[in-house]
Amino acid sequence: MARVILKDIKKIYPMSGDQKKKKAKGKKTEHKTGNLQITDKGVVAVQAFNLDIADKEFIVLVGPSGCGKSTTLRMIAGLEDISEGDLYIDDELMNGVAPKDRDIAMVFQNYALYPHMSVYDNMAFSLKLKHMDKKEIDVKVREAAEILGITEYLDRKPKALSGGQRQRVAIGRAIVRNPKVFLMDEPLSNLDAKLRNQMRAEILKLRQKINTTFIYVTHDQTEAMTLGDRIVIMKDGYIQQIGTPQQVFDHPANLFVAGFIGSPQMNMMDGRLIKKDGKYAVELPGTTVVLSEEKQARLAANDVAEQEVIVGVRPEHVILTDSGYRGTVEVSELMGSSMHVHLTDVHGKDMVVILNDKKDFDKFTTGAQIDLTFTPDVVHVFDRTTQKNLEW
Amino acid sequence: MNTNTVNSKKAIAQLTIVRIIVYIILAILTILCLFSFYMLIINSTRSNGELQGGFTLIPSTHFIQNLVNAWNDSSINIPRGMLNSFLIAALSAICATYFSALTAYGIHAYNFRGKKFAYWFILAIMVIPSQVAASGFVQICYKFGLTNNYLMLILPGIASPVVFFYMKQYMEAVLPMEIVEAARVDGSNEFFTFNRVILPMLKPALAVQLIFTFVASWNNYFLPSLLLTKSELKTVPIMIAQLRSADYSKFDMGKVYMFILLAILPVVIVYLILNRNIIKGVTSGSVKG
Ligand SMILES: Nc1ncnc2c1ncn2[C@@H]1O[C@H](COP(=O)(O)OP(=O)(O)OP(=O)(O)O)[C@@H](O)[C@H]1O
Ligand SMILES: [Mg+2]
Repeated sequence: MARVILKDIKKIYPMSGDQKKKKAKGKKTEHKTGNLQITDKGVVAVQAFNLDIADKEFIVLVGPSGCGKSTTLRMIAGLEDISEGDLYIDDELMNGVAPKDRDIAMVFQNYALYPHMSVYDNMAFSLKLKHMDKKEIDVKVREAAEILGITEYLDRKPKALSGGQRQRVAIGRAIVRNPKVFLMDEPLSNLDAKLRNQMRAEILKLRQKINTTFIYVTHDQTEAMTLGDRIVIMKDGYIQQIGTPQQVFDHPANLFVAGFIGSPQMNMMDGRLIKKDGKYAVELPGTTVVLSEEKQARLAANDVAEQEVIVGVRPEHVILTDSGYRGTVEVSELMGSSMHVHLTDVHGKDMVVILNDKKDFDKFTTGAQIDLTFTPDVVHVFDRTTQKNLEW
Repeated sequence: MNTNTVNSKKAIAQLTIVRIIVYIILAILTILCLFSFYMLIINSTRSNGELQGGFTLIPSTHFIQNLVNAWNDSSINIPRGMLNSFLIAALSAICATYFSALTAYGIHAYNFRGKKFAYWFILAIMVIPSQVAASGFVQICYKFGLTNNYLMLILPGIASPVVFFYMKQYMEAVLPMEIVEAARVDGSNEFFTFNRVILPMLKPALAVQLIFTFVASWNNYFLPSLLLTKSELKTVPIMIAQLRSADYSKFDMGKVYMFILLAILPVVIVYLILNRNIIKGVTSGSVKG
């Protein structure tokens, strides 16, 4: 049992004296910290963070660099004070509890292994601190080593291991403890692409073996989509959307989420939302798409008026047509079974189209003009000013 | 292609010349350093009469004689002096190094009000000449009857800004806070983390500072000569000074050189023991990058 509840969590990093002076002079610090809010007290790295994590759930925090993912995780671990709000683990208020008393384990981005200890001792460290019986420690360490395939390295020092092996040791150090909550801060970001895929699969397997609550931080949307039961997408210290991978993919709450989730990125086009015979449709130069029933209902429920909008369509949802939205081919990348075509549309914006039909491939030489349209159920409409999804 | 090989040949030639110059300089420096040791050994083999006669590079035959003379000198007790010196030097070295590392860690790893002030305050102490500080200290010791007390020679060494500064710099270079945090999450309390996780990572720095503080304390003449009056408590440097100032009838330069030779042996031994610990890259591999 480990339910984790974050209630209106806020983190303010106090500004140092120098920063304050700079701010008084010419507000230059704001550039450095992206779009984080800066108050008199300091930099607000995380705010209005509300999340109820169920027991044994796998939650992924994802977002661009500097959005406050690590800060949130470190507050859950107790490594960082919580400025405002409450954190509960299993209905116990944890705000003032030291990390060692929270019964959590954490895997750090850069491993943070104890350099002078062997792999075995690294993994046994926390168990020894619990005054566990030596034999029991041995059993647990060997078991974890077996799961992770590092048994043969148990006697080695961390410096004699490769990056992937070190990462396994770091994970092993966490799993021997059988913690209530498992925290991981970008555990795969230091590995090369192939190893990352492999370790990602292993984390999935691991998750089935050690059934506990996971909170996983990454800036990689693929990792988020494949690992998470639910994904929390963050930006500038705010949560943008919480949902299952399918939900955030199919119903992005705003332009940011729409652009962040999915690869290649969703295409964003300037268009107009109109009402035609009482039905919502998007009007783009060259084509007009009447939206699906489902979308009609949601837009109607929100009482959305006719307006200029941003129309979002994922590259895989673009269809070729004889006469429609015009684009000029810039380059096309053949990926084997599919082809990614990069275009510029009539407004000069970049677009990507994924084609799966081999017959179409040779049509797209650089400079060719092509006509596109979109299926009604995959078109997203966003408010131009608030950038919110109008269906929400 | 051709110009390339010519260029690389030129570069190699240049490199060789630079190397030769560097090696010559290093050789000269080494000889300068070792020369005084060589002279010490030579002088310890010569009798007082020969020593008065002047300078030579050739060893003589009075080594055993000098050893026996020095050992049997009634005014000094060599084994006792060495033991005293060793006790004081070892304890001060350990205390100074450990507590300086602890202080440095406190300032390195924690954020607290007045942290910067504490840091600069400690460094400012370095500016005060130790002789100035010592005069007041000696007075206090006499007032409170703390003379002839080894603690008065060991404890002040704990406040060692130089060792503190060295440790702080070393920590900044090699000690990632993630390791401390990992230990915290693993359930270790702060003191345990310092002793079991941090100290082993500081081994090379600790070894260097142990040697330095040991040697400094071993050679220290100033404070012990002021505070130690009982002959059984006296340390090696005091005894050497005593030998040198012996009256004409007993004066023997051979004995003095022999004692100095004996006196540097423990330092050499300590160096050889700790030397093994000064290995680079003890921390490599714990944290990526
Ligand atoms: N000690 C600190 N003092 C002041 N600001 C800080 C401090 N630590 C982090 N920040 C700021 O808080 C913001 C959030 O940092 P955080 O480390 O949580 O980002 P992140 O989402 O983990 O990014 P990344 O993907 O790069 O790791 C950043 O903009 C950072 O500049
Ligand atoms: Mg981070």
